[in-house]
Parts: sequence; C-alpha cells; structure tokens
Amino acid sequence: MAREEAQRTDDHRVRVQTPPGWSVSLLGRPLTVLGRLRRDGNGSDGKRKMERSFALKSGAVRWMDVPAGNRRGLSDYYPHLMPSVGFGKSSSRVYRCRSETKRYITSPRVAETLVRILRGKRKSCQLFLECNPGPGILTRALLESGAKVIALESDKTFIPQLKSLGKKVNGRLEVVYCDFFKLDPRSRGILTPPIMTSDMLFQYLGIEAQPWSKGAPLKAIGILPPKNERNALWKLLHDLYSCTSVYKYGRVELNLFITEKECRKIMANPQNPGLYQALSVLCQIACGIKLLHTESCLSFGTYTANGQLAKQKHRESLEQNLCFIQLTPHKDLFTGTLTPFNYDVFFHMLRQCFMKRGAKLIDHLHSLSPIDAMHILKQIKKNKDVKVIDMYPEDFQHLFETIECYKDDNYKWLYDDFMEDVII
Amino acid sequence: MSAVRWGRGAAGFGRALWPAGAPGLLAEEGALGGVWGRKRSSTASPCEQDRRKDWGHAELLEVLKARVRQLQAEGVAEVTVKRVAKRVAVARAPEAGGAQPPRQAQAGAEGAAPMLSSRWAQKLDDDQRLMERRKQRLEGKLQKHVEKVAWQKQLRSEPRLLSRKLASQLQHWEQGAPRSPWEEQLAQLLQEAPQGWSGEAAAAPADRGPESRLEGQRQRLLSFFECCLLTGNLPLAHHLLVTHHSKSQQQRLLTLSMYNMVMLGWARQGSFKELMYVFFMLKDAGLAPDLRSYAAALQCMGRLDQDAGTIRRCLKQMAQDGLQLQGLFTAVPLSAEERAELLRAVRKAKPAFTPPRPPVPPPQVNTSPLLREIYAKQDPTVSYPRLHLSLKELQGLFRQQLRVEMATTVTVESVEKVPLLTKEVLHARKTLAGLRTRWRTALYRELQETKESEAHAAREGRLSLFPYLCLLSEKEIVGLLLQTLQALPAQGESLLFLAHELGLRVFKRKQLRNEVQELEQRYSKYLHLLASDTQVAEPCLPRQHWEALGAPEAPHEQPWPVSVVVQLGKQLAEVLVRAAQMPSSLAAPRSPGTLIPVLYHVYSFRSFRQIGILKPHPAFTQLLETAAERTLTFESTDVPMLCPPLPWTSPHSGAFLLSPTKMMRSVEGSQQHQLLLERCPPAELHGALDALTQLGNCAWRVNGRILDLVLELFTDKGCPRLGVPAPPSEAPRPPEGRQAPKGCLLPEVSPAEKAEMRRELARRLKVAREMQSLRADALYRLSLAQHLRHRVFWLPHNMDFRGRTYPCSPHFNHLGSDLARALLEFAQGRPLGPHGLNWLKIHLVNLTGLKKRESLQARRDYADELMEDILDSADRPMTGRKWWMEADEPWQALACCMEVAQAVRAPDPTAYVSHFPVHQDGSCNGLQHYAALGRDSVGAASVNLLPLDLPQDVYSEVAAQVEVFRRQDAEQGVRVAQVLEGFISRKVVKQTVMTVVYGVTRYGGRLQIEKRLREIHDFPQDFVWEASHYLVRQVFNSLQEMFSGTRSIQRWLTESARLISHTGSAVEWVTPLGIPVIQPYHRDSKVMIKGGLQSLTFSSSVDTSQKPNTLKQKNGFPPNFIHSLDSSHMMLTALHCYRKGLTFVSVHDCFWTHAADVAVMNQVCREQFVRLHSQPILHNLSRFLIKRFCSDPRTSKSIWVSRLMDTLLSVPKAGTFNLEQVKHSTYFFS
Repeated sequence: MAREEAQRTDDHRVRVQTPPGWSVSLLGRPLTVLGRLRRDGNGSDGKRKMERSFALKSGAVRWMDVPAGNRRGLSDYYPHLMPSVGFGKSSSRVYRCRSETKRYITSPRVAETLVRILRGKRKSCQLFLECNPGPGILTRALLESGAKVIALESDKTFIPQLKSLGKKVNGRLEVVYCDFFKLDPRSRGILTPPIMTSDMLFQYLGIEAQPWSKGAPLKAIGILPPKNERNALWKLLHDLYSCTSVYKYGRVELNLFITEKECRKIMANPQNPGLYQALSVLCQIACGIKLLHTESCLSFGTYTANGQLAKQKHRESLEQNLCFIQLTPHKDLFTGTLTPFNYDVFFHMLRQCFMKRGAKLIDHLHSLSPIDAMHILKQIKKNKDVKVIDMYPEDFQHLFETIECYKDDNYKWLYDDFMEDVII
Repeated sequence: MSAVRWGRGAAGFGRALWPAGAPGLLAEEGALGGVWGRKRSSTASPCEQDRRKDWGHAELLEVLKARVRQLQAEGVAEVTVKRVAKRVAVARAPEAGGAQPPRQAQAGAEGAAPMLSSRWAQKLDDDQRLMERRKQRLEGKLQKHVEKVAWQKQLRSEPRLLSRKLASQLQHWEQGAPRSPWEEQLAQLLQEAPQGWSGEAAAAPADRGPESRLEGQRQRLLSFFECCLLTGNLPLAHHLLVTHHSKSQQQRLLTLSMYNMVMLGWARQGSFKELMYVFFMLKDAGLAPDLRSYAAALQCMGRLDQDAGTIRRCLKQMAQDGLQLQGLFTAVPLSAEERAELLRAVRKAKPAFTPPRPPVPPPQVNTSPLLREIYAKQDPTVSYPRLHLSLKELQGLFRQQLRVEMATTVTVESVEKVPLLTKEVLHARKTLAGLRTRWRTALYRELQETKESEAHAAREGRLSLFPYLCLLSEKEIVGLLLQTLQALPAQGESLLFLAHELGLRVFKRKQLRNEVQELEQRYSKYLHLLASDTQVAEPCLPRQHWEALGAPEAPHEQPWPVSVVVQLGKQLAEVLVRAAQMPSSLAAPRSPGTLIPVLYHVYSFRSFRQIGILKPHPAFTQLLETAAERTLTFESTDVPMLCPPLPWTSPHSGAFLLSPTKMMRSVEGSQQHQLLLERCPPAELHGALDALTQLGNCAWRVNGRILDLVLELFTDKGCPRLGVPAPPSEAPRPPEGRQAPKGCLLPEVSPAEKAEMRRELARRLKVAREMQSLRADALYRLSLAQHLRHRVFWLPHNMDFRGRTYPCSPHFNHLGSDLARALLEFAQGRPLGPHGLNWLKIHLVNLTGLKKRESLQARRDYADELMEDILDSADRPMTGRKWWMEADEPWQALACCMEVAQAVRAPDPTAYVSHFPVHQDGSCNGLQHYAALGRDSVGAASVNLLPLDLPQDVYSEVAAQVEVFRRQDAEQGVRVAQVLEGFISRKVVKQTVMTVVYGVTRYGGRLQIEKRLREIHDFPQDFVWEASHYLVRQVFNSLQEMFSGTRSIQRWLTESARLISHTGSAVEWVTPLGIPVIQPYHRDSKVMIKGGLQSLTFSSSVDTSQKPNTLKQKNGFPPNFIHSLDSSHMMLTALHCYRKGLTFVSVHDCFWTHAADVAVMNQVCREQFVRLHSQPILHNLSRFLIKRFCSDPRTSKSIWVSRLMDTLLSVPKAGTFNLEQVKHSTYFFS
C-alpha cells in the first residue's frame, strides 16, 4: 500500500572538513560535491525502484479484508523492494536489461604499481582472486610476477581472451564466468552464471574453508562497480558480519579500488563528522583499512556491458581519483559479544542512529531499547548530551555490548526479526 | 517517553516556523506604495483599526525610531531618514496595504525609483532596502504578536474586501446599521452585478491545468468547513473563511459551495449579520449566488420574521438571475424544518405560493435492451421469492441490527480454548483492567490538550484538525484508541497504516445517519415485500418498493481527502503514544516503579527508506497473552447483518442501516468512479442496484455440524492439511525469544556455526509468525461463526470498480476458503424435488475434483458407487474411513456428504428440505467470454460453449497442442523439446492458460511454469529455466492457434488503452448493463504529512490531476473489460433467477442455488450468456470510446487521437461460431 520515510534532512546538511591525516594528493579535487554524498550514493536506480513500489494501492480494501492484529508481517504486507541488481530473483533478466559500465585496469603502468604493492619482494606462489579482470592487464602482470590467479569475469566477451592467456602460464590461471560482487544473491531463484553461490564457486575451485582465527585464505583484487559502490560495500559488510558468502571460507582480504569519495567516508570518524556514517563504523569495526595507493580515473578504461570501450562522458568522473584500499577482517571480530548471531541488531542500531546523525544519542536509545536510556549512558560513561556523530566506532561497539549484556531487563532490544532490515 | 518528547519537540519547532512570509510581504507593499496609505487605511474595517490602536503600535514606533537612529549613526543621508519616517507613518496600516492588488503596489515602487537618479542615491536606496528588510522582519514579529493576542480574544468575523466599492458599501452599511435595515442592503447588494473577473472565475473549472492542483486544497477546505458546521464550530468556519478571503493567494481556494456552506450555517442560527458578511465576501470574490445562497438567505429571513418587502426584492433578484423559485424546494436539499422556514419567508412575499411536492421521481426506465424483460410491467410469470420469516420476526431482527449499529462495535466471544483461571491469569487480568482505567484518564487529558492546541492553530487561521477531533465524543475516541491498542500486533504496526485506519474509522463513525424513527417506519413497510405472511399490491423489486415508500436519500457527504484522514489518524496515534504508560515493574520486576511507555516508535529499514512502526513493549504483549481475555471487538460494519440489508437505491445508499456504504469500492482515495456514478442517469444503474440488492437479500445460516467439527480441531492441535491453522503452541519455538541459545555466546563455537544458528532461528520465527497470522484469521472467522450460530444473517454486497460483486463483511463470508464456504448454508430451505438429490450427488463429485471429464450421468453413478464411503464420512467424519479428507475441497465435501446422507435417509427424498447450496462453475470463464466475443469455433468448443457429450477441458487441450509443437521441434532436433518429452501435462500449463485471459505476460507465465517444473522430481532441474522459457512460448502459440479471435481482441483492447492513455485520459467504458467503469491508474503523486512523531510520505496512484499510468492502463484494460462482462453476465443471471423465485448467490463465475433449482439456474445462465453476447459488445465499446475520446474538436488534431480513431474503427472481426448453440451446452457451467 504505501510506505513512508522519516525525515532525513540531516543527510543533506553535511559539513565538509578536511580529514586529518589525509594525504595531499587526495585533496586535489574540489570538495563541493561532497554536499550531496548520500544522494549520490543511493544511485539513481535504487531510487527509482523504491518509488515504484511505493504507491498507495488498494490499501483499504486489503485493510478491510485482513483483521486487525492479524495482518501479515510487514515483510509480506509490503511488497519487498525489488532488490538491487544481483540480488534479483531472476538474475538473467536483470542482468540483460541493464547496460552496466565497468572500469577496468587498462594501463600496464598501473598494473605494475599494483603488483609491486601486492607482491612486494615476494617470489612465492601466492593465490589471488581477481574480480572482473577485463582485458587482463593486471592478470598478466600478476602472472608474470609468479603468482597464481583466479580470474572471475562477469563479462562473457573477455572470457576467450583470458582463457587463451591461461593456456600460456601452465595452469596458474583459472578463468571462471562469475560475478564476484553478485555472489550469493539474497533471494535464491535459479542461478545462472555469472550469478553463483560462493559454495558453488569455492567447491569448483577446490578451496577449503579456514577457521576465522587463521590467516586469509586468499586475497581478492577488484574494482567496486562504479554505479553502486555503496550497495556493493553494504553487501560485503553484511556477508562479513554474518560470516557467510566468501567469508564463510575465512578472513578473505579484499584489495579494492574505490572512489575517493567513498574511501573517505569509510575511513571517517567523529573528527570529520561530515563524512561519518554507519558504513564508516561498520567498516572500521570489522576490518583494518589500509590505503595502499591512489590513482586517477583516467588511468582506467570503462567498458559497457557488451565489452565495448565506452567514452567517459562526465568530466566529473574523469577528475575523480580511485583509492586502492586493503580491507582485512579483524581476527578478534567475533570473540566478544558481537557475533554472526546478533550482528543484525548492531546493523539496525547504527542505521537508526545515523538516520538523524545530529540528534542526541539518548533520543535514539528510546527507539532502540526499552532499557532506561540514562542507565545505559551511565554504563558506557557518556553524558546525556552526547550526539551520534560524537561517538567513535569503538563507542558504538561498546554501546551495543552494554545493551546486549544488560542483566536486569528481560527485553533488551525493541528490534526483532520481524523488522529485519533489508539492506540494499 | 522521551522518544515521544523528541517527536513533540519537532512538532513544536514546526509550529513556531509556520506563519512566515505573509505579514512581511504585506508590510513591504505598504511601505513601497506609500501614497496609497491613507486611502487604504480608511477602507480597513473599524475593528482592525481599533485593534491596532492598542499597545502594539506604540511599541512598534519605538522600535522603528531606534532603527532610524541606527541608520543615522551609519551616516546615511538625511533623505533616507525622512523616507523611513514616512514609512513609520505608513506602517500604521501595513495589513490594509496588502489588500491593494500587487500590481498597483509595483506601480508605486516604479514611480518612486526615478526620483533618485544619482548613483549615490541608488546606493543609499540599496542600503536602505536592506535595513528595511530587517525592519520588516521585526515588524512582522511584532505584528504577529499583536494579532495573536487579539485572536485569543475573538475570532474574526468582519471580512476584508478586495473591491473598494463593496468595502465602502459594507462600511457604510455597518455604520448606518440602525437606520437602514440589513435586508435592504442585501437587496442592493444582490443587484450589483458580479464584477468583471467573475467570468474568469466561472470559466476556471474548465481549465484543468493549475486548477486541478488547487483541487486537493479545496477539498481539504471544504471538508474543514463541513466538519465545523457538523460540530457547531460555525464561528471558526467563518473565521477561516474571512482569513482566507482576505489574502488573494488563499482566496483562490474558496469556492461558491464554501461560502454557501457557511451562509447556511448562519441561516440555521438566524444570524443575519454574519450571513451578510459572507454575502459581501461572496460578491467580493466575484461569484454569482446560486439557489443555495438564496435558500440560505431566505431561510434566515424566515427565521427572523423579516418584512415582506425585503423578501420580495430578494425574490425578484433571484428571478433576474434566472433562478426558479420552485428550484429552492426541489433542487436544494433541505431538512423539514429548514423547508418550513424557507416557506414561511416565501409565503410572506407570495402568500399564495405552494411549494412543489417533494420531487416525484419521474418514471425512469432503464433503456438497456438486456434488461427490458426485467423491468417490463405486469408480467404474470413473475414470482419473486419471499423470505421464510414472518413480518414480526423480521421487525424484531431489524431492531437487533439497529442496536448493533448504534453501538458501532460488536463484542464477540472468542472460540479460543478457555484458559485455566490460575492466580497468574487473574492477576494479569486485574493488572490490565487497572491499566485501562489509568489510560482512559490519561487519554482524556491528552485528547483535551491536543484539541486545545489544534483549536489554537485554527484560530490562527490554519486548517487544523480541531473540528475533526470534535466529530466524535471524547469518550468514543478514547474507546477507539483503547481498542486500537488492544489489537496492535506484537511485532508492531506501521504508523502509516495505523494512522490511515484510525482516520477512516473516525470518518465512518461520524457518518452514521440519525433519522432512526423515519427509517424504522419505512423499513417496516418495506418488509411487507419480503416477509412470508404479508401481501403487497403489486409484485415488484425491492428497490422499486423502497423508492415507492418515500423520498430519495439526501446526497451523501464527500469523503475526506486521504491526507486529512492520515493526518487525523496520526494525531490520534500520537495521543495514544503519549498517554499509554505502564509501570516499569511489569517489564523488569526488580526495577523501581517509574512509568515507561507502552508504545515505542521504531524504524525498520527497507533499503534506503525507513518505515516507522509503533510497537508495543514486549512486556505488555506478554501481559495480554497471560491475561488471555476472551473477547474480540469488531466494527459493526465488519459483521454480517441481522436483518435484510437496505436495498441499493443509489451509488451511496443501501446495505447497512445507519452506516453509509458505497456501492462501488475502488482504490482508497479514488474519486473519479464516484463522480462518474453520480453523473450517470439513475435509471442506468438500476440493473446493478437491483442485482446487488438481490445478492444481499439471500438469508444465510451457519452449518452447525461442520462448525462443531472445525472448532474441535481448532481448539485442539489444528490441522493445516484441512485448512484449520494450528495454535501457536504447535509452532517451532525459539527457546528464549530473540535471546541467543546457549551456544551462541560461547567463544568456542565458530562464527560460521553461529551464523547457522541465526538462520535456523530466523526460519523458525518466520514459520511461527505465518502460523500466527493464519491462526488469527481463522479465529476471527470461527468466532463470528460461533456468534452467529442459531441466527439468520445477511451479507450485504457491493462491487469493485469493474462491477464484480463482493460481500461487505470481510471476515465471515461465502467468498473465502473451502472451510469458510463449508460453514455457510442457505437459511431458507427447499424440498429437493425430483432431481435435487442427483444434483447433490453430482456436486459432491465435483467437490472431490475427480471425474472432471466425465458426463453428469457418470459422475452421479460414481457417487452411487461410493455411497458407503459417503455415508461413513457423514456419520463418523473424524473416526471413520475419512473419505472426505481426500477431496479437493474437503470441508465442503463433508458438508455435502452429510446433506446427501440426510436426503437418502429421509422417508421421501424428494420432500427433504435442503439448505445446501449447490455450485455451478464456469469452465475457464474468461476464455468463454473471449470465445463468445470473437465467435471462435475452436476455442468455443474447448471451453464448452458447444453442446458436446462430454465436458471439454481447455487445459488438457492446450497441453495437447503444446505437445504437438514439442514433437515437431524434437524431430527438428531442438534439445529442450527432447528433454521435455513426457513432461507436458495439464497441470504444467493450467495456471498459465487460466491467467493468460487476465493478462499474464510471458514473464509471469514463465515463472508459473518454472514453479510447476520444479515440482516434478524426475525432471532434470538444470533445464528448468530453458524449458520454462520454451514452454511458455509454446503455450502462447497454442492459445494463438486455438483462440485466434481471443488474441486479436486482447491486442485490440491493449492498443486502444495505450493510445487513450497517451491522449492523457484514463480508460473509461460502460458495461452492457450500463455501469460506468474507469480505471484508477495514474502516475504516483506524493503526499507528505510533516511534523509530530515522524513525517509520513506516501504516494497515491489515484490523483486524477496526474497523467494516467500507461503501462497499467494498457495491461489492465483487457482483464478489466472481461471482468466487467462476466459481472454483467452474473447480474443478468441473478436478476432473472430472482424473477423465477430462485435463491441465487455467486462467487464471481461460480453460481450457487438450491439443489432443486440447479436446472432452472443453468438454463437462465446459458440464456443470459447468449443474450449478453448477442449484443454488439465490441462495436458498442468502439462507438463509446470514439465518442468519449475522439470527439473533442480541441484535441482531434493530435496524432494520438487520430491513431486512436483508426484503431478503434478497426474492430476485430468475429468468427463463425453460432452463439445459439450455447443454450444446449450442458457443460457450459457445471
């Protein structure tokens, strides 16, 4: 029937500050666009889809037909939002109707730099999972340095080229028609490549799951899809916290190219409140983030879905920088109260808090937990005027743990599975 | 509580921001156009001048002087100072300045500019403007403050007029009031021709552009005034009228009906002075008074006993305006008392005047050729059915129903098992009772506070919710809120839904009519037509009888705009959130005794959107569960009626006794179909009105034996296989709610295992939730059934926007599942007669789902073979062989078994009085209509339009056709076709074939087939996608082959709809029975309600000012059109069955009657199908659409219109099928 949205004026009132410790090269760009970060992040298609399922349809009729107190759960009642590309039921259809542009590494110079960063002086046979290698410039460079590479390519047009490359290197290259960023779609219908489950993929590759405490089973390299970086990030975080998908196989280390804009956001903290958001907290709690390299967008080639080299139209995107960051999941992420069993409450808490970022924490606590808010604040040793954007990621974790371990009350959270947040 | 406080804070902030803009603007105009100042101040009404004389003005001067000093200090030239000083003088009447048309003010500004030509002066001017702006802000603030104080003292009643001439007249009139009576003034005023721009205003509605955007605001305003009148807040309505009138921007929103409404209010009170004010304003707005305006004025004069001269002049003027005196009595809706006053006034002027009789409805005859027989007079063959109850019994039932509706709610005892009354339960109940008492008090208080603040807002000239809140008594609202709290599910409810429902409930309750006595008399007379022991002079239809008994109904009130409904509901929800509190000791036994809220406002995130949810505290849910109270509360309109419903006499009167019901339901908030219905000549709707009345007049009773059996299962463990949901105790329960199972916190359990535990928990919770909702649904149905056991009841009907009929009561009706249907039987019995038993047997076999392709005789024989099983099922349903449980529709089969058993055991089966409804189903009814439309021979045969020895099954035939194609492809070496060998069956294609008629696309069809293929275990699952893709193509091809006419008609309809939508209109048509249909699909428009707990944003697809949604219009047209045809067929059958004295009800294309009458019904059904399709339906449609969409000369040049014209003219050609053959087709409906 309808949905509503809370006022989110805060999102658009973002102050821009220079993040401390930010390298000068990163600040080369004008900062004006940052004022609209949230909207940019949504991506236009996400917005469109939401509006579609937003109509006040025959609500009253349904209302009448279904007795009060007996209405089906919200999740049934509202038609689910069409999940974004890659999580769709019929992947093939979604995939076809969308002309997606992807970035690829086309410059040998960049490839060399990356190999230097990733390999260092090592000569050993390391395993890399390269996502969407495209023309295979980096693949070649990696192979030349003596590494083993699994290339997951979601675009069929590149596959023959990559396979022929693989023939030359004596089995050190495995090419799979697969889309890494769309692994394990949410609603499982029929999966046709390039959409796969991680189980299918890893079984095929013969990679065994490693315990969380062990090191990374493999290193993944890729470029976040430019259209929906945030969606991809949310999905990765979701997988990470729930210990599913690729993270079921251990602490996979991600080496990703990400736009500078997003990069700053995930590294933000209360010292740059303009950029600070739920994603920042989640990223920083879960992983160690290292900025390895920065490269201008110009060094990348952009291809449309059918493998055509696309012209870069927007000046803005040309001037942008891409940051190469390393995300290593913390070894002790799940040793405390936060576990894959209750991470969703943590997610919910953060999303709720950052909905009105300028508000006081205490106001949010009332909508999160029936426990006396003053009491909680006392326990985490914050005063009652503390604002959401004043809380460091660790503070949020502490807050979560405090509530989750609260002894006196029978009911700790107002959140329940019924409200299960749909991410992306 | 603080969650709420936070919300309130936000609301307060919004409130403070509200009245910006206008005062500042006015002040600026006054300042710039200084020359006009004095004159204008004289036009201001005395009251305002008085007000400004008080302290506010002195202070203002002080402040401004301070500003001047500041300016001097900044070294600004003297000239500026002078100007400022002048401005101070002007500021005396800043408000009046605003009344000047802005154009003149601008002219003033332009005139001032050349005076200062030098650059220096220019700069000064700039500086000064800046200062001025600051000053204005200050001034505005002051002004507001002054005004606020004044408003608190009194509401405004004197208007500020835009026309100076009128204004001076008004002033003159006021001053001279003692000498020249007001009425003289009125007469003079009336003679004034409306000003020049009135023509423009009158023409405005035709211009749909920006006007339509104002429409929503107008609706709001009108409903506000209406509510004010209803709740006796007339001065407030007047106040708002005046404030709106005085601002040209807002004046555009005012329409004649608003002025009239306020005027009528004053007339009822006999307040001539205020009435005159409104009249002045009306004139001022350039509107021409109409009959209603005159009626109000005359009524007022009547009440005040004015002298004849004035009245005469008034009447004369009325005649000059071209309005008929008779019209006052015929065209204006008046109560008896108002009528008398009006007449008194008129008689003073014209003593001989006799009012025309209450308009006798002119003999209206329905012109549809299909209905000619129905409305033919004096047909001796007619034998309308009567009820089995006597007049006295029926009158008693009427009084029962009246009591129910006056109470507005029905309390029903739950059929849930009685809990053991342990100490715990009793304690919980006591706690709950205590809490409720506390909440009641708190709610009263909150409500009053809210009302106060809303009243304050209204006084400030805002459209607040105050009058809406006054519609129901505080007690009623508090009751409503407590009921809502009680029914709130544990997982919470979206705030938007809650608000919407609360708002609607208030609206529905306020609509209750109040002329109970009159109703009772009329109804009692009406019953003479239906009762078993009375006579009427002439047999006629219920509606005709009802109409003959009295005047038609007063016109109904307009529904409120959705935004008002939601806003009101939200306000009430907020009251509830603030008021409902409980001691914290309930939640945490050890905590100190502070109060905590019961309701929390939480968010759920759907992607980047947040949904606000109101959620009860888990402890409260727990308390409710423990207390296990055994009552359920329903709105009286959600429960079947206890007496025959009122016959439908117009699109908005019929069904329930007191609560008005709409004949046509549509998407919430949609208005366009109501407008169409109202514009439609009443006689054209007779077919629909009578059919609905007739469906509603069928008396029902509960099948007690089935109910007993179901209840037994229900209170025990349930039986999901038989459609009896299991109690929550059977659900897979997570050990400790959301809390983690033990292993979850242990560090040695690996993260992956914890993730697995989480998934398992989520799965269990999901199952439990689904079970719970099914359970509650069944609980409502069964409790109502239990409540109605041993009673006779009626299910009033209305229809959707295409004409398909539905019972009004949502929980318990004959449209539901197998279980729901089995619980019902006809209250009126009929002896089986010679063939009745046979039909019972055939019906029983039909219910099992076996022998679908056998002849009737074969089915009957099959029943005879199984007689032992049948008797066993009837006698020992739960302990015997349980044959019935294997049937497709087990509960109905069981009921039928029992009926058969009783009949065969009766001494004379033909005399056995049966109450059991026997069904006859159309075989793929949509395709039947398409085949008949296209006269498709092949198609007609496969959907049983041709008389054949055995029933045909279209699904099997499509499957066979697909198989033919498959074999061809397989021979060609198509891989999929080879894989599919042996897998193509009726079942695989059935759903797709069935839904193709209703517009399923290839995409949807593929998903359906995919599902079927997945169910086949030995089908190689790797091929599912490819195979389903292939199959759906073949199904469509087969249908194309078999129903060539059908597909071309579908395409024609789709294309027409697409083009119509492109011309900017919604698709509209008229069913063969004359019901106008319009598709309510428009592009979404957003509605936002700000402030309070959260802002609510929702979009509505029914905003007619938006362009039509082409995709929906186009995809919706073919199925909607076919539905309008099948509903026409059903209604025709219903009406003809009624003439033959049959009991008839329907579930769309499934017709029900007594076993004895099945043959008659079948005959009628076939005849009417032939009659219906003998009409040139498609040509009529084409003609209608051309007239409606292509005849406007303004648009005829548009490319879309000419293309539409071409399409419409090429009606698909019909095939060669001879329709008459249907009359002999046994299996047409079977």
